[in-house]
Amino acid sequence: MKQSIESRELITLDSFGAVVRGTYHRSRDTNPDAYEQQRVGILFLNSLSLPRTATGDSAVYWAESFAECGYPSFRIDLPGLGDSDGSLPVELLDFINSGGFAAVASDKVREVVERFDLSGVILVGHCAGVVSALFAAEKCPQCRGLILMDPYFHLPQAIRPKVRQKLSNWALHSAMGRIASDVYDQLRKFYRRLRGSRPPSNANFALLRCWKDVASPGLPVLLFKAPARKAFGSKPRAGQFDYLQHVLKLAGRRGQVTVKFVHGTDHSFANKVGRSAIRQLTENWLKVHFPKAGEIDPLANRLCHEISTSKLIVPRKSHT
Amino acid sequence: MQEEAGYLPVPGAHLYTVLHRATEPVARVLLVGPFASERQNSYLPWIRWSRYLAARRIEVLRYDYRGVGESLGLFEDMTFEDWHEDLQVLRDWFASRSPALPLILHGLEIGALLAAKSFYSGVGDAMLLWSPPANANQALRSTLLRWVGLEQLLTPGAERRSASDYIRQLEQGVPVEVEGYQWSPRLWRDSFQWELPSFPGDDQEPASHPKQVRIVKLPKEAAPLVKGGFVGYDEVKNFDWLFEKDAEWIEAQAVACGEYQR
Repeated sequence: MKQSIESRELITLDSFGAVVRGTYHRSRDTNPDAYEQQRVGILFLNSLSLPRTATGDSAVYWAESFAECGYPSFRIDLPGLGDSDGSLPVELLDFINSGGFAAVASDKVREVVERFDLSGVILVGHCAGVVSALFAAEKCPQCRGLILMDPYFHLPQAIRPKVRQKLSNWALHSAMGRIASDVYDQLRKFYRRLRGSRPPSNANFALLRCWKDVASPGLPVLLFKAPARKAFGSKPRAGQFDYLQHVLKLAGRRGQVTVKFVHGTDHSFANKVGRSAIRQLTENWLKVHFPKAGEIDPLANRLCHEISTSKLIVPRKSHT
Repeated sequence: MQEEAGYLPVPGAHLYTVLHRATEPVARVLLVGPFASERQNSYLPWIRWSRYLAARRIEVLRYDYRGVGESLGLFEDMTFEDWHEDLQVLRDWFASRSPALPLILHGLEIGALLAAKSFYSGVGDAMLLWSPPANANQALRSTLLRWVGLEQLLTPGAERRSASDYIRQLEQGVPVEVEGYQWSPRLWRDSFQWELPSFPGDDQEPASHPKQVRIVKLPKEAAPLVKGGFVGYDEVKNFDWLFEKDAEWIEAQAVACGEYQR
């Protein structure tokens, strides 16, 4: 059996007391100048309990794509996840939401940077992986940027109570249920107005503080939003707190946060539309914020303009 | 315990494999895992099963199907026949390791169908199957139904499509994307042909080849090894109630095969 093939290498990161397994996608840059300076790498973290391939192997697709563009890419399984050793706490979601993976993730960033001679790393997280990426970024100066896919900033319940689940199903599948759901949304909207711009009590305040520390000094952040039920584009469902608006405010004037909403996909971004949108928008963003040697050209300025307009450039999903 | 990940070449691609070495092994088990989108859900308990066996002196080889997970290849180009051929390559590699030991095939869901086909062509000394469907189409259909249910949560009423709409699409020769995997019309068509073989009764087994087969229908509690369960919660639950019995069965087969070979 081979440890390495043309484009990929299986790696074990064993420094700092934790053994982590992963896959390294070698960059395939045709520009020789690109190799004369240290490059920035891209490191994918697990989304909740998913292995490092992610839903529909989408992380493999993105890592291959970014490597093809000249950015060495890494996908690792944090301890206890995927192929890595270690045990997981029974309350995995609570563990992640309290930054349980932050220390090991930031250690692994350091290890990857040293071992592969990189100038730094851009951390990629999806869903619960966003939480780990943000808490890790706060701890490691080698983190040069963040790509965050469909983040959440509250403390969700791992398992919803049965009564609530039944109510949700009723609201989804019956006409009366849908009306009741709309009325409920409006009541919540009213209550939300009374509360003003304060986050609700189930907000992950530690994560919001961390976000402010990371984003407000100007760390480049690319944030993707997927469509959600009863939501309006990147705006939340009526009555829900607008975390996106809140975190953009926290990032302040120096913040370099780019938000992209991707139509025609779902929370995983794993379908064709989602994965190609993430690929295209990320590659544009990388060219603007992390250009390779000899790559700063008029195209970058154009891309920069496109990104700053924050317009979606992805067509609606076609089912056929 | 030593775990060795690597790539094994097969025609046109490389398969991702993980060998779980055991100290003084008594048997080898080739794990034929769940299919495509089921992989991500059952990954953690599947690995724990591998480690559980390795701790009981059973060497384990697990792998990703061609075009799935860490293996290379394009999923949409793959057929059941390709995956079956890969199984032969893996079996040859695994069985060539020394010392010679009884080889047991263990398949889960669609993996059980692939394992069964290899077993009846003469591969392996015993076989354990977890929740084999009657045919591959049954497994694809249940995956499709679950995915359509989730899709409908996001889709406005007028744009909603039912499972039968997607099935019609496949039957008309148009691929369908399910949880990030492009299902080809050929995959759907072929899935009807990949059936669980009928198992001969004891009286029909040739006396010179007393191979044992164990089929276990996993209960709901075995989620996420089988469909269902809560992501981020069920992966960490204890599966010893399931592992212990089947590990004992494998050990018993190893002993029986060893005695028979002597």
